[in-house]
Amino acid sequence: MKVEMRHISKSFGPVRALQDVSLTVEAGTIHGLLGENGAGKTTLMKILSGYLRPDRGEIFLDGRPVRFTSPAEGLRHGIGMLHQDPMDFPAMSVLDNFMMGHEGGFWLDRRGARRALQELARQFGFDLDPDARVDRLTVGERQQLELLRLLWRGVRVLILDEPTTGISAPQKVRLFETLRRLAGEGKTIIFVTHKLEEVEELCHRVTVLRQGHLAGEATPPYSPQRLIEMMFGRPLPMPERQPVPPGEPVLEIQNLVVGDHRLRLSRANLIVRSGEIIGLAGMEGSGQQLFMRACAGLVRPWEGSIRVRGKDLTGKPYHAFLEAGVLFVPANRLEEGLIPGLTLTEHFQLVYPNGRYLIDWEQARAEAQRRIRDFNIRGKPETVVEALSGGNQQRTLLALIRTPAHLLLLEHPTRGLDVESSMWVWRRLKERAQEGAALMVISSDLQELLQYCDRIIVFFSGRISEPIAAEELTLDRLGHMIAGRGW
Amino acid sequence: MVPHRYRWIIASLFLSVALALAACAQPAATPAPATATAPAAPQPTPTAAPAQPTPTAAPKGIIFGMLLVGPYNDRGWSQAHYEAGKYVEKKLPGAKMLYIDKVNPADRPGTTASQLAEELVAQGAKVIIFNSDDHKDEAIKFARAHPDIVVIHASGDDAWKEGKNYKGIPNLANVMGQMEYGKMIAGCAAALTTQTGKIGYLGPLINDETRRLAASAYLGAKYCWEKYLNKPAADLKFKVTWIGFWFHIPGVTADPTQVAQDFINSGYDVIISGIDTTEALREAAKATQAGKKVWAIPYDYIGACEEAPDVCLGVPYFNWGPSYLAHIKAVLEGTWKPSWDWVGPDWKDINNPDTSHVGFVKGKALSPEASARLDEFIKGLGDGSIQLWKGPIRLQDGTLYVEEGKVATPQQIWYLPQLLEGMEGQSVPTK
Amino acid sequence: MKEVLLPRARPSRWVEFGFQGLSILMALLFTTLVLLMAGAPPIEAYRQVLEGAFGSLKRATDILVAWVPLMLVTSGLLLTFTAGLWNIGVEGQIVLGAIAATGLMRALQETSLPPSLILILAMAAGMVGGAAWASLVGLLKIYGGVHEIFGGLGLNFVATTMILWLIFGPWKRPGIGSMSGTEPFPEHLWLPVFPGLRLSPWALLLALLSVALVYVLLRNTYFGLRLKAIGKNIRAAHRLGVPTARYLLLALLGCGAMAGLAGAIQVTAVYHRLIPPISSGYGYLGLLVAMLANYRVSWSVPVAFFFAALNIGSIQLPITLKLDSTLSGVMQGALVLFVLLMQGARARWRSKPVTEQGDDA
Repeated sequence: MKVEMRHISKSFGPVRALQDVSLTVEAGTIHGLLGENGAGKTTLMKILSGYLRPDRGEIFLDGRPVRFTSPAEGLRHGIGMLHQDPMDFPAMSVLDNFMMGHEGGFWLDRRGARRALQELARQFGFDLDPDARVDRLTVGERQQLELLRLLWRGVRVLILDEPTTGISAPQKVRLFETLRRLAGEGKTIIFVTHKLEEVEELCHRVTVLRQGHLAGEATPPYSPQRLIEMMFGRPLPMPERQPVPPGEPVLEIQNLVVGDHRLRLSRANLIVRSGEIIGLAGMEGSGQQLFMRACAGLVRPWEGSIRVRGKDLTGKPYHAFLEAGVLFVPANRLEEGLIPGLTLTEHFQLVYPNGRYLIDWEQARAEAQRRIRDFNIRGKPETVVEALSGGNQQRTLLALIRTPAHLLLLEHPTRGLDVESSMWVWRRLKERAQEGAALMVISSDLQELLQYCDRIIVFFSGRISEPIAAEELTLDRLGHMIAGRGW
Repeated sequence: MVPHRYRWIIASLFLSVALALAACAQPAATPAPATATAPAAPQPTPTAAPAQPTPTAAPKGIIFGMLLVGPYNDRGWSQAHYEAGKYVEKKLPGAKMLYIDKVNPADRPGTTASQLAEELVAQGAKVIIFNSDDHKDEAIKFARAHPDIVVIHASGDDAWKEGKNYKGIPNLANVMGQMEYGKMIAGCAAALTTQTGKIGYLGPLINDETRRLAASAYLGAKYCWEKYLNKPAADLKFKVTWIGFWFHIPGVTADPTQVAQDFINSGYDVIISGIDTTEALREAAKATQAGKKVWAIPYDYIGACEEAPDVCLGVPYFNWGPSYLAHIKAVLEGTWKPSWDWVGPDWKDINNPDTSHVGFVKGKALSPEASARLDEFIKGLGDGSIQLWKGPIRLQDGTLYVEEGKVATPQQIWYLPQLLEGMEGQSVPTK
Repeated sequence: MKEVLLPRARPSRWVEFGFQGLSILMALLFTTLVLLMAGAPPIEAYRQVLEGAFGSLKRATDILVAWVPLMLVTSGLLLTFTAGLWNIGVEGQIVLGAIAATGLMRALQETSLPPSLILILAMAAGMVGGAAWASLVGLLKIYGGVHEIFGGLGLNFVATTMILWLIFGPWKRPGIGSMSGTEPFPEHLWLPVFPGLRLSPWALLLALLSVALVYVLLRNTYFGLRLKAIGKNIRAAHRLGVPTARYLLLALLGCGAMAGLAGAIQVTAVYHRLIPPISSGYGYLGLLVAMLANYRVSWSVPVAFFFAALNIGSIQLPITLKLDSTLSGVMQGALVLFVLLMQGARARWRSKPVTEQGDDA
């Protein structure tokens, strides 16, 4: 089935996730969708599969316009999406999950479903026990299950969102074989990824997105150079940097091992000194978030120790980190950082109480006014934070970093901001560093990392590189490294 | 912003209402009539009545209010009262009944019986009948607060001069039927019918009244078992299971349906009901349909058998009408005095609707020979040749309660502290 | 000046009033329909309810008798709602308050302590009892990972079992085994009332104090601000340094104490004994009041009053129209339903303009 998406735009509140993006995928091909994190790949695919509705734009299947209001409707039209996070029911059996959402009247035909599952699994060489509980499966097996389920439902367009994250090498080989075979049978495959090598290995054609825009298309043979350029933009001339004289060690990490259900990071040793800015680079889900959250006291490390200004904080609760001056500014501002429904004044009062029980609202308002001015926030003291634009939300987050802060951990501090706002944020961060704080910053904007950080650590699928001095890196090399090359 | 001001307006409104109440409530309490002996004669009493004039001032009319603990159509205790009210309306021209049913805190949360009684008074009622043992405290509270209203509490003893709980409230009377006889007859009918020799008694809550009624049923059963069937008393099983209230309150009481089923499943083939509702009868009918032979004897209401006539051996019932008629007539004529009435059957015809307070109608399921014996038994009770509350009577724990040759006093019967020897079931003895 | 400090949704207050008014209208319509289906004259029924609620001073004060426990419970629930908790367990907390108050009074009624002191202690015991029960919900949630709705439901069940066991067992009246309640307390241990009325000035005062307390807590204290932060976004509140577990527990303790106080007042001022339905369902009703009042203290006062008035006024229905007085329940339920429906409608109506105007960068 031929898929055409024309002039798709989509906003989430103030964030423009997609702007006028068009995509054409021919039947029987594997089409890559490449882009850094936040480029809009997932949003575009969720629109195609019916999870989201576009603000503007149209979708055509084999030339006929369609309009989905739900994923179920998308599925009825033969479009199935394999999500990055398995959308299964962990406490139920493989067979139950396989049958989930199947339209076959009211009664379950368990025996028929079991036969179908076993038959499909045999065809593709998957080894799935219908009676195993899903939470016992590996990510790869869960993916296989979901894949079979979609095939059983008769999908003709299969979307895979970052399917190789968290699966083993043999599973990946098997997956690619399967996809090639499906394409050969005439199915349309859309393969969302940020890994260049996968595009090279698998895709008949690739579309690159950058910051919600269509950045370009390419066909084999691919030039990695060009793809990286399309993903990250053209390299800018490096500005002059004034090296900060390193001070006392603030963060000392020894033999740290962190992990979650899908990723185990390699052992890390690191010393971050006062005044230093460390950049963490890597594709989303490569382990940098996990690493940073461990440093913030939000994730308990499996092994190793974390010391802040000489104090051992290993295994201590988040509040102990907070008291030690470790401050974490998360990326998802309205989920973890700010409190929708609360005003700016109320946010400031939460973080800077006056030490009494009663709030002096007059004074609080005046104080809020001052911080709003200081941090150049476009809003009033009584503005609720969700009504602020992304940039102003970010400024608010920075205004909420209490002093003294010895270690600042920031996830994507400039994501979604325009150039001017980004520069302002970095100025502020630099000031903090000059005042003696140590900073660690995650960003998918490689250029800004190169520009503002002293040292950069690269993450790829759980591997952690040694800290590399920013002067020794180029955009090109960094781009290769985060895509898993040149290690 | 507007509501900010509102808040304080509302708050001050509440405060001022509270203060105003304190001030103007004062006079409302004072006009208690000085005539404590003959309250509630149809003279215009200065009550704090509602604004609209009530048409009760007519010399011949009277409104009486009734508080029913259960639904007015429960085919049991409350319906018997409701019908009695209808009877009074019919027999006494100008009398009008107001009632509220389901007067219990589970069905009417947040209200008390005395509060509801006041609503009836506000509608013009001059006499209030509290129909349940459960209303005892509320009836007293209400009577004391409203000396101008005649209060009749069915089943209490607070107006019994010789009783334990005499309160001397000038506007409170008690009415109760001597249901002991009805229960004896029921017990006899059960004993004459049972094939397994096991009689179950589905009891409500445990108190003096319910103990003496269950005991009476047992005495009747035992007498007929021994005298008419010539079987040894030891072969008769008589078990009492209490549910905890007069009727089923889901989640609070035991489920009478369940209790009846348990009886049936463990071989009890006659169930005598002591509760306000008809679950025993219903379950007996169900079991009979399923092929078992089970009978039941409901309680309270003359028409109770109608629900399942084929398994009904009869029903001992109250006929409150004549007593209430007498009280309300006396109020109307200004001759009412507080009294404690423990009214027996009219032995000439226990089912005379105008004279007998307690009756027993036989059910279809009673066999002809049992019926004949039952008539004999009733006759014996009536002429005094059968006296079941005669010593020796032993309590459940074996202590001698009524000595050989003596007849129990009314106090001994009314305040029976335990079940009797030979009965199975919980007693909750009085200390 | 202060008014600007509370966060406000953007649509004007009049729009909000309009929606609320519309839902009341729809609830009225629905209730009328039910009445018609029951074959009752609706206008007459409403007139009776109105008359029954406000026809006399005594009736009007009876409304306050019901308002007091309802308001206490609602005040408490506003704390937990602010913290984002669904404290369904409030019913059990009322019951435990009533049990604790009864227990204390039983222990002290034979002593020579002054009755006023016993009553004060009973109120305190009620608060402790309710708070202790609520703390179980909190501990289950924080340390056991049991959602407060399920914990609360479970504990409600346990509370019912406990009160039945006490009434039928250790606290039964001498010689009596009945679910109808414990022996009434002697009259000097009843909470004093306005002469000739059922309303106790002390109970009224306690309810007003609790409203004022919650109002100030939520509006003017850091405690309230932190609860609000937790309720709106517990993760972010935690990130910003609010000790979330402690404050969740504190909110529950506060709510439990107020519910327990309501239970103690039911015992000492309304029923003068312990009965199985001692809570009178005020816990669940309080949840409805809080929802209908849009979780605001100022609105919950009149809404609770309105609900109490419906309860008192509907007593007339069985007397004069032979209608079941559960009509008040129908009305209350319909109100809440339609208000929630309207909130949904309003959210939809509002969602469009927000996307456009949010982009102020």
